[in-house]
Formats: sequence, structure tokens, C-alpha cells
Amino acid sequence: MPDPIDQALEKLLAYPETGSGGDLFVVDVMKKVQAERRRRRLILALFGGIGALFGLAGAVMLSGSISHVFTELLPNRLLFQLPLFAAGAVAFYVWAMNDDLPLGT
Amino acid sequence: MGSKVISDMELVARVTGSDDQAAFRLIVERHQAAIRGFLARLSGDHGTADDLAQDTFLLAYRKLHTLQSGGSLRSWLHSIAYRQFLQHGRRHARQQVMAEPPDSGSDPRQAMDAEILAPHLLAQVNESERACLTLAYAAGMSHPEIVEVTGLALGTVKSHITRGKRKLQDWLQEHDHSVSELAGAGRPPSEANHA
Repeated sequence: MPDPIDQALEKLLAYPETGSGGDLFVVDVMKKVQAERRRRRLILALFGGIGALFGLAGAVMLSGSISHVFTELLPNRLLFQLPLFAAGAVAFYVWAMNDDLPLGT
Repeated sequence: MGSKVISDMELVARVTGSDDQAAFRLIVERHQAAIRGFLARLSGDHGTADDLAQDTFLLAYRKLHTLQSGGSLRSWLHSIAYRQFLQHGRRHARQQVMAEPPDSGSDPRQAMDAEILAPHLLAQVNESERACLTLAYAAGMSHPEIVEVTGLALGTVKSHITRGKRKLQDWLQEHDHSVSELAGAGRPPSEANHA
């Protein structure tokens, strides 16, 4: 036979119903999670970019003068195309890394 | 088309394996009521409880890969929530962590509503007893599960529950509440938990 105090405490301490507040809570948590993912990727991209710059600088220092890089290795025609490639790379990154979930149920 | 219930551990594997956001959302949906309820009972304040619960799920998202394959997600989330609550208490050491029972305008002697009585009841016990009692009676956890959540020794958990229960019983009697009346429409007890 169960103890009446146990039954009373189960009833009195039971969690209250969350109702529609639960949905809002889930949406808030998922927004924070997405912000966290974006922050994580930004940090990765930032440190990756810094690493790449150091790599490029090292390569330049080892291979000769900077003017040589921009005149012979990267001709003018290619330099003009660089913004186009950069824009394409950014568009690809946004498409590939897009993490916006539909938040509706 | 029949809907298959995906287990917690399968959801965890999806999140840790492929960063599946829909799986994490399901985890939050499944456990939010229990975590928010637990923290509301501990802190006595729904606003604080929701803030701590959000931090709990965010921390869980970061650390999900550390959950061992045989572990229980429910206990693990409760243990994070409990630690969040303790940290919150340390950060606000000068303030009273357990909010004063809300003044509902009604005498707790006449109150039969759990939402009015529960804060008054839980104000009678200390932080650890409150956690053990809430996990045992509201979450329906067994003693070993409570040990997993709180990190306390099994003997300590048992004595917290026994002592806390006695305090609550005394308070109910002092305030003219009939335990058998209160127990009347209660849920069926999980006897194994409170033996």
C-alpha cells in the first residue's frame, strides 16, 4: 500500500503544464543554437583566413619579390577577374553553409 | 504513413554525427517541460528557470559529443540543469536563490492548488533536499538516477529524501492540510522510487 505522503507529494510537486509557452521556448533555444553555429563558423573562417594569409606571406617571401607575384604569376587579366571569383566563392559559402532552418512547426 | 518514434540516443547520434538541427530540435521539444519544471521548482521563479533552461540546452548542444553511448539523455540534461542552477546560486550568492513563495493573496492553510502550495512547501527544505525531492516526486527518478544527476552519494540522497519528506509532512500538518485528502486525486505512485 503506497504511503499517502508519497502520493500527496507526487501531486503537489508535479511540474506545471507549459502549454504554448513550450513552443516559444523551443524557438528561442533553436535561435540561440543557430547563433552559436554561426559564431563557430565565423571563428573558424577568421582563424582559417589568418592562417591562409600567413601561408601566402610565407610563400611570397620564399618565392621572390611581391611585384613578381603580381606581374608574372597573377597577370592583369586575372587580377581583374579576382573580384568575380571572390564573389562566387562567397556565394558558394553562403549556399553551402546555410543553416537557417524553418522555425515553424 | 506510420510515424516511428526515434529514440533519444538515435537523435543524439544524428546531432553529433551530422549536426542535424531537426534532431536537436526534437530533443529540446521532448525534454523542455521536464527541465523547465525542474528548474522552476528549484529556483521558485519561472523567469529564472526559463533562462537557466535555455543555457542548459545550449550547453548540451556544445557538449553532446561527451554523452556516453550507454548514458541516459534525461539524467544528463537534468545534471547540466542542476549545475546551471548551482552556478547561478554562486553568482548571486548575496541574493536569495529560492524566491519567496508568491503572495497569491490566499492563505496557504486553505490552498489546495499545487501551484500555490508547492513554492511554500519547497521553501521549507534546503537546496539539495529540494533537488532530491523534485527529482524523486516530480520527475519520478529512482535513487541511482538522482545520484547520477546530483553527484551526491546514494546514502545522502536517501537521507535528503527522508528528511525532506518529514519536513514537508510537518509543514502540511502545521498548516492543517490533510495528507490523505491531498493524496486523493494524485497520480499513481512509483513505489520503487520512494521505497
